[in-house]
Amino acid sequence: MSVVAHLPHRTLSLADEEASSPPAMELTGRRRMSAAERSLAETIYQEFRADPRHEEFVLGCLNCGECTTGCPAARFYDFSPREMLQIAANGDATTLWDALQEKIWSCCQCYTCNMRCRFGNDIAGIISVMRELSVRHGVESTRRTLAPFGRSLTLLMTVGTQVSSDMIQPDFFRDWGPFATGSDKAWDVSPEIMRKAIPIDVLQTTRSAWEVSVQTSLELFRIYEETGVLDMLRGLDPDLTEMLVDIIEERREEFREARETHRARLETMRGPVATFQG
Amino acid sequence: MLSASEIRKVMEERTQHQKGTGKKVVDVREEMERLEEKGELLIHRIRPENRPVPMQTLFGWTKRIPTDRLWHHKSCGQCGNIPGYPSALLWIMNETGRTYLNEPHQTSCTAWNYHGTATSNPVALAAVAARNFHRAYETDHFPLIHCGTSFGDYKEMRKLLVENADVRHKVRAILRKMGRDLVLPEEIVHYSEWVQAMAPEIVARKKFDLGPVVATVHEPCHYYKMIPEDAIYDDRVYGGQRPAVPTGILLALGARVADYSTWYDCCGFGFRHILSEREFSRSFANLRKIRPMVEEAHADVAITSDTGCVTTLDKSQWIGKAHGQAYMLPVLADVQLAALAMGAHPYKIVQVHWHAAPVDRLLEKMGIDGAAAKAEFLEYLQALKSGRAPELLHTPHEEIEQYFAINKGQVLPEEGTGASPPTTEPPAGVGRALP
Amino acid sequence: MNPVLVLGGGPAGLSAAAELASLGAPALLVEKENYLGGNPKRWHYSLLAPDLKPAEEVLGELLRKVEGNPRVETRLETTVTQVEPAGKGFRVSLRTRETLETREVGACILATGFDHFDSRRKYEYGYGRYPDVLDFKELEGMIHDDRILRPSDGAVPKRIAWILCVGSRDLQVGNTWCCRMGCAVSIKQAVEIRQKHPEIDAYVYYMDIRTYGLWEDLYWKSMQQYGVKFIRGRIGQITMAEGGKRLVATGEDTILSRPTEVPFDMIVLASGMEPGHGTQEAAKLFHLPVGPEGFLTPKVADINPVDSGIPGLYLAGAATGPKAIPDSVTEGMGAALRAFQYARD
Repeated sequence: MSVVAHLPHRTLSLADEEASSPPAMELTGRRRMSAAERSLAETIYQEFRADPRHEEFVLGCLNCGECTTGCPAARFYDFSPREMLQIAANGDATTLWDALQEKIWSCCQCYTCNMRCRFGNDIAGIISVMRELSVRHGVESTRRTLAPFGRSLTLLMTVGTQVSSDMIQPDFFRDWGPFATGSDKAWDVSPEIMRKAIPIDVLQTTRSAWEVSVQTSLELFRIYEETGVLDMLRGLDPDLTEMLVDIIEERREEFREARETHRARLETMRGPVATFQG
Repeated sequence: MLSASEIRKVMEERTQHQKGTGKKVVDVREEMERLEEKGELLIHRIRPENRPVPMQTLFGWTKRIPTDRLWHHKSCGQCGNIPGYPSALLWIMNETGRTYLNEPHQTSCTAWNYHGTATSNPVALAAVAARNFHRAYETDHFPLIHCGTSFGDYKEMRKLLVENADVRHKVRAILRKMGRDLVLPEEIVHYSEWVQAMAPEIVARKKFDLGPVVATVHEPCHYYKMIPEDAIYDDRVYGGQRPAVPTGILLALGARVADYSTWYDCCGFGFRHILSEREFSRSFANLRKIRPMVEEAHADVAITSDTGCVTTLDKSQWIGKAHGQAYMLPVLADVQLAALAMGAHPYKIVQVHWHAAPVDRLLEKMGIDGAAAKAEFLEYLQALKSGRAPELLHTPHEEIEQYFAINKGQVLPEEGTGASPPTTEPPAGVGRALP
Repeated sequence: MNPVLVLGGGPAGLSAAAELASLGAPALLVEKENYLGGNPKRWHYSLLAPDLKPAEEVLGELLRKVEGNPRVETRLETTVTQVEPAGKGFRVSLRTRETLETREVGACILATGFDHFDSRRKYEYGYGRYPDVLDFKELEGMIHDDRILRPSDGAVPKRIAWILCVGSRDLQVGNTWCCRMGCAVSIKQAVEIRQKHPEIDAYVYYMDIRTYGLWEDLYWKSMQQYGVKFIRGRIGQITMAEGGKRLVATGEDTILSRPTEVPFDMIVLASGMEPGHGTQEAAKLFHLPVGPEGFLTPKVADINPVDSGIPGLYLAGAATGPKAIPDSVTEGMGAALRAFQYARD
């Protein structure tokens, strides 16, 4: 059957389209979607349109392209914020699904598009909504995209800082040159000593950006539990999530023990401990 | 060129920027006041002890920048990659006699988690923001945000918490479970605004001249592109058409600030890109930022005021050698350059050795003896190696603070066992208790 | 009969005064500036779109009907500072720098017009800071005098860009409406320049070309006969390159879906139309409602576009929204007729 014959019948159900061949869309070079993918795409699309932020962030578009003007990603990827807004406003389940595969991850979240937009759209924001949905539904391409972030995620979830100095390993950051870790090899000084040479005690750690107190990290984790972030992460990486839960359980235990050890001192404490008085 | 009075007229017009439509951008601070009246939140007010300095925002609204009794909200990338950034800031505070708290009881804004990997959501971000705000509030120190993204995120979250009752109630419920409550600071203040407010005192302590130095400025996106109305502008800086920071302090210190065609562009950080799409980040940083800075403006140094920007612009350059682009333009935070001009130790305080692009030539231009400072530092490293106690900018924290964020009157949360009652007694003089 | 007050001496006001005089009614024409002719005169408009007729010719025709006409009393550098009802008509206070005078008028026509958008408010374009970024009203004067020179160094520009919709269709500056004129006037300017100086390249950056109705001909000709180039996309920023020697306009070519960055010798901003200062003052003075855009609103715009809803008070020209000169002239006539009927009865 010719493609043209399909044209007046664009209201075909998904099943019909599956049965007939070839669906018009595939002629444009799309990869054929499996039934499971189609159904997931449809679910995500429904959730996307139902998200209250959709109405708030996507207002309309004159296609002026000012968003793309300042977009860093548009210069290096097949990506434009104008296209993303068009997909958000006018796309269907399939176009949204396509955008989730790669495009949403091109965005730098610099917010230049938002500042430029004369219509008042929140383009960076709606891209984040798309990203959230693909994380929550564990979209395969998103899993792959986020695979290298296990270490940062662990830090962020447990102590709430993104990078630690022991993550900046010369092997991984070769392109950053010989000084990326703060010292010249010729100096013959360990990373620990380099941290000691920073004149701020809470920064003298290599495992986190700064020392975060146990209570603070427990409060943070509680926020993640209460706001559904942990559940969201489970959709993406169940193993990592279980590991995080274990780490936090240990820290809770540590906290309880410290309470016993320091009980007497705690009762006499008044005010912040370390105050600099100029 | 615009005359001063013409500039003032433009600033004035911008104040009424949506004249006629009635759709003026709402000043979120006004709504915040109304919500406090209704007992829905508390405002962490700037008090005379904070020695505020008034500045002007994009629309000409007044923003008061507290200069004393500050709570350092550190930046997660800053401390890992470029620790000279917070240490230069703390050092200037010591030199100018400003008091502060720099605690382990702070998380980052965690916005990296959202803008990088989307493994968070706005309610969580708002709760993290409010948690850190509350901590600052209970210590009676005003939050000073080191990071451009944290600053942008906190502006967004304050707006969200003010405008969205549902998020507000959810966040408040979570905070109450951990013995906290919803407090929003009167102003969200970026450290570069503090630097600008302190410019007269910094200039008064200037030891080295910036006259021979040509500086290009990279304006951190999240400083002024997120909630643009809350960035500060000054008609003496590019006629009020670009943010006043960090350019203002450079002009005040006498540097020659040079313009370049891509000043509006982002640095190429891109959150996840800097880690997993480095080909993009380094290409963007080199081709779109460093090259024009060097070739068009003949810069001696690039100055910015955000963690990610310093990292990206600095660390991306080395690999440029592979393409015959060995620019190696030094990249510093405004506060690092200010500290150098004030005579801070380039290594012990400004920690220039963490930067990939060497600063030796810059130091030389400023008249600083870099070689002597380096020798001194190497000696210091050896001393540390042999067990000498490190030199510190403030009194070290006690061991107990590894565990507890304790404060006057606070009931310790029973972590893992359920809710504990909220704080009943606010710190003296800070505000009143919520109903 | 008491005269009819015509407030504003631009095309609409001139037309109204001339029409009243031709009907045999006295007109009191009040203008705050020291000349008649409104914005076209103020900014030395060159040729008028779409027929490329010199502005002086069009305005001259109107001015001749008014100046020296015994039925038209013209007051320059005068504003109306107070209004109160007097019989069927109004009692108005006329203020000059030195004098204050009260007059009774049978009816009023508000032809208070528009102001060009102040492009300094779109600070992304650096207007006011970069000397080679011009407002198109300034270029009108240059074309009029045939001195197309780059302000920064007096050189003849090789390449000029026009940016349409500056301060129009833009929520950020609060002006969401279309100015109706920017497309036609910019294209007309490009045509004029290409006619006289074919060695200068002309680029127009647009979102939509709104040379509505018969004006479309100008758009076609500009490409066909004069080689004006059109790129679809609005420029997002103008910066300085080559160490402050050359402007760079950055935008997206939305047809090719690609960011563009082009150096130009001169960039011309098609600034939009805003309710004029006089219009805003008149709204306050007569307690008139204004629309969400700040323009005066006729009571029933589609049936009687010149009727304010207040007996004896009529509206004409760009005071009620962006308008071309022929439309303003037509409304001036309509308002004159209605005012004449009201004041005469």
